[in-house]
Amino acid sequence: MKTFVFRNQTVEPFLGSDGMTYSGYDDISHVPEDVDRYIWFYQVPVNADSIQLSEEVASFIDKLDLVLNRVDVTKPFIIFSLENLFQLRLTGNETAVAESVTAFNRHAMQLSIERNNVKWVDFGEFTSRYDASTLMNWKYYLMSQMMLNPKLADDFQRWFQRLDEEMALKRKKCLVLDLDNTLWGGVLGEDGIDGIKLGGDYPGKAYSYWQQSLLQLSRNGVILTVCSKNNEADVVEAWEKNPHMVLKREHFSALRINWRDKATNLRELADELNIGLDSMVFLDDNPTERELVKQMLPEVTVPDFPDKPYQLMVFFKQLVERYFRIYRVTEEDRAKTQQYHANAMRKAEMGRFADMESYLYSLDLQLEIIPADEHNLPRIAQMTQKTNQFNLTTQRYSEADVKQRLDNGWHIYGMSVSDRFGDNGITGTIFLEPVDETTVNIDTLLLSCRILGKGIEDAFVKTVLNVLRLDGYRHVTAAYLPTAKNGQTADFYDRMGMACSATEADGTKRYDLALDHVYEIQNYYNIKVL
Amino acid sequence: MNLEEKVLEIMREVFDLEDITIDVSQKNCAKWDSLHHLTLSSELEDAFDLDLEPEEIAEMTDFSRVIAMLKSKL
Repeated sequence: MKTFVFRNQTVEPFLGSDGMTYSGYDDISHVPEDVDRYIWFYQVPVNADSIQLSEEVASFIDKLDLVLNRVDVTKPFIIFSLENLFQLRLTGNETAVAESVTAFNRHAMQLSIERNNVKWVDFGEFTSRYDASTLMNWKYYLMSQMMLNPKLADDFQRWFQRLDEEMALKRKKCLVLDLDNTLWGGVLGEDGIDGIKLGGDYPGKAYSYWQQSLLQLSRNGVILTVCSKNNEADVVEAWEKNPHMVLKREHFSALRINWRDKATNLRELADELNIGLDSMVFLDDNPTERELVKQMLPEVTVPDFPDKPYQLMVFFKQLVERYFRIYRVTEEDRAKTQQYHANAMRKAEMGRFADMESYLYSLDLQLEIIPADEHNLPRIAQMTQKTNQFNLTTQRYSEADVKQRLDNGWHIYGMSVSDRFGDNGITGTIFLEPVDETTVNIDTLLLSCRILGKGIEDAFVKTVLNVLRLDGYRHVTAAYLPTAKNGQTADFYDRMGMACSATEADGTKRYDLALDHVYEIQNYYNIKVL
Repeated sequence: MNLEEKVLEIMREVFDLEDITIDVSQKNCAKWDSLHHLTLSSELEDAFDLDLEPEEIAEMTDFSRVIAMLKSKL
């Protein structure tokens, strides 16, 4: 199965490489079609400015919608809930970020109700197992943008695999319940109506909670039935006369209270209710009965039943999560959720955008093109050392190398990018080597992958080309030198409209360009050339 | 098992490659990218029960440097 992952952080160690491909960081520009499913796995970024951060988190809602509107509605789309892994509150009543996180999660949950292909994953189920210092390791975060501690990768994979299997399972429709030591403690035939353990102190109290929980399950559409070896008249009497009985006759859609084998009873129940055996879950405290049903009716799901009454609530939670998680909602629920939804959208305080262009507009992108100088030279050299993916020629330079080229008359620029969510600093560079009076060669062109996906690379190069033309240059030569990691840039110059003049055996492509016109640049980039 | 063998074994697992030898480096091994480098560092920290500083992690660019770093920390 091929999966595409939208993410704003490094998640590869957790979701793995098997069949997975990943978006750029916070890059929604590319929505591939040749995959079987999608995963949305964003987390709350790190930013001490909580107002700015809350706006950024709220903007994930629009990004998610934008992506969802572009994917095939028949393909599964899994959304991880947002969890704030590093909560920073400068004041006690600071709630802006938490509100945005809640708004996003409500929105995602709502989508999972409205759209059949959308599944919402409660990431908190995983994170709540760990304390904050285990969850996030700042060393690894700062080195690699990995929010989640890489040491949790194995745990995460196990957790997600189980969840993945559960999501693929068909929801069950019907719960078949034994009575003695299953719905109440003790044996009705021996202990009598008032002798069975139900209500009052432990263990009766445990069975009361258990029955109340099952009642809620039935109110949400799960069919409850009884399959018990008992005298039916005794049971009916207990339902009528035991004051602690929560589940009574009217809560069960069908009964098989007799002394026949349970496999036969289950088959009859399935027929009577007109449901498949594979949509039934059978609960019985007696392992012999469970084994019989497993052997005779392998389609029926038969979970182990807890030994101790105090384990019943955890068992109930597992039942719900594995078999009965309810996606069907009432009209009232729907109205309530819609109200939440509207509030969330107002809170987002974002200009709505329906397409990529208005999204880019909303970002308020600022590009500054800065000549290399002694302040930014270390950063520029460092980028040539580290950048692998969006790097056309992968020339590695030391600070001294860069300095020497500047002294030799090269034009070297850094590009700094900021948007309404913050400043990314210098995240791109271009090295231009004058060949003669009117010709310049692009020796190096690279951008950090965290700013990709917003068309910034195009705007950057076009601006530089316009500047070169104003400076009197008329020809540009450039090259793409393939490496194991820079495949995504193989066609970059072609996309820029440059003609490929030669392709060499090793995949190297050479380009020639006449600077004979001004390149138009979309006006959602505010560009300053310093 | 000596240190070198143990490190080779960890590298084979992290990079998911059988033919890892003591000549391996970030330059000659395509799988040894920045992400696998972090995973490798984290596995080494666990296996040898030590903490590597970011600067130390950055220095471990080939097999012999990894071994030298571990020896200096053990």
